Amino acid sequence: MPLTTQAYCKMLLHAAKYPHCAVNGILVAEKQKEKKKEGHTSTILCVDCVPLFHGTLALAPMLEVALTLIDTWCKENKYVIAGYYQANERIKEVRPNQVAEKVAARISENFSEAAMIILDSSRFTMGCFTPILSIYDHLDNKWKCRDPSTDSFEDWTEAQKITSALLESRSYENLIDFDNHLDDLRNDWTNPEINKSVLHLC
Amino acid sequence: MASVSELYDVTWEEMRDKLRKWREENYRNSEQIVDVGEELINEHASKLGDDIWIIYEQVMIAALDCSRDDLAWSCLQELKRQFPDSHRVKRLAGMRLEALERYDDANKLYDSILQDDPTNTAARKRKISILRAQGKSSEAIRELNEYLEQCVCVTYLFRYVLFLSSALSSYAKAAFCLEELMMTNPHNHLYCEQYAEVKYTQGGLENLELARKYFAQALKLNNRNMRALFGLYMSASHIAGSPKVSAKVKKDNVKYAAWAASQINRAYQLAGRGKKENKCSMKAVEEMLESMQITMS
Repeated sequence: MPLTTQAYCKMLLHAAKYPHCAVNGILVAEKQKEKKKEGHTSTILCVDCVPLFHGTLALAPMLEVALTLIDTWCKENKYVIAGYYQANERIKEVRPNQVAEKVAARISENFSEAAMIILDSSRFTMGCFTPILSIYDHLDNKWKCRDPSTDSFEDWTEAQKITSALLESRSYENLIDFDNHLDDLRNDWTNPEINKSVLHLC
Repeated sequence: MASVSELYDVTWEEMRDKLRKWREENYRNSEQIVDVGEELINEHASKLGDDIWIIYEQVMIAALDCSRDDLAWSCLQELKRQFPDSHRVKRLAGMRLEALERYDDANKLYDSILQDDPTNTAARKRKISILRAQGKSSEAIRELNEYLEQCVCVTYLFRYVLFLSSALSSYAKAAFCLEELMMTNPHNHLYCEQYAEVKYTQGGLENLELARKYFAQALKLNNRNMRALFGLYMSASHIAGSPKVSAKVKKDNVKYAAWAASQINRAYQLAGRGKKENKCSMKAVEEMLESMQITMS
């Protein structure tokens, strides 16, 4: 399931905003219809992400609230909750932990092709020249790791350029996650301003 | 590159006051601290008087956060020169070694502080942080527990154990820490609310009821705590929806949930005033509340 620039960008901005914390969030996808000679085929594109929490990731009530609200928002926009991302607190820990597996498993109950993405902060640079994530697919009741390729992105060159630009301009200071929203309801977890910046740079 | 004072049109006094505010409220906005602090030190050192030493300390720590070893080093040198035998400065030197991942050297420094002064809490805390950075969370918790047995009422230590316990999903430990914290800080709505969250996460009807009570208590202490409000709603809804409760308990919890729902709606309406974009959040909340009503009845 390829990632759009917007999805990749916001994940990295979330991790950049809280370098000393673990962060996590939800990936949302949309069915894209493509016309081919034999008729319509649809591919699933991971179009966006919703940053959830930073710091303590393992508590249930706010996660439930967030998932329910995001689910409603998804239905309005014909999206579906399609995955989960996490960056661990320690940069040397690049494997999913219990929390990640639990949440991702729950998501895959409603969406069989759900993916779990773990960000590798040790390779996080301003230039973003390589994708810094590991993708896990749910196969045979286990999470199997797969290294990203250019197929994992809708347009890797664009993703790399725009993410790097937004990091340079410190756009992560304005990224809103669900924790920020709970601190002040006026903070919008759909991040319209950052979405606009991404579009503007495309 | 424009200076901070030019970009934001602030005076050096305002910059100094901002640093103080961040210091007093324990913000970790390290990039901003480095920007403001570095300029203050470079351009206005002579005007800062004795404040300069605590600013050097604050900027040094922020510089470590931003991998600005050059800045951290120069701040450290100034502090070493002014306070040559200070344990406090030694601890800062240790933190720099930690930032460079030279944990053995850092530990040696902290051990030397503790030899001189076995009650030095800052050094103990740093040693435990090193264990945590190395991924040895269980050892870190063990050390903390030992330390807690020796000390009375050290809030920050409990918070630390709490944090580690939550990270390790050791909810029973986290709950215990929070109970201690609530006892010594009965007016702190955050501890109440976090306790409720841990209880909720542990699950089961009894824990849910406890969670609901503590969410309510948190709201009494601070009626604007949104997490407590949502938590009250969620726990009351789950209790009301459980087949194991009596009709009276169900009725009471339906009432609590309904009250919480109206408060949540009201909070979103207040927040959304005049902002078109927030309508989506409000709608999502309304739908969530409606959908849960269905499962409750």
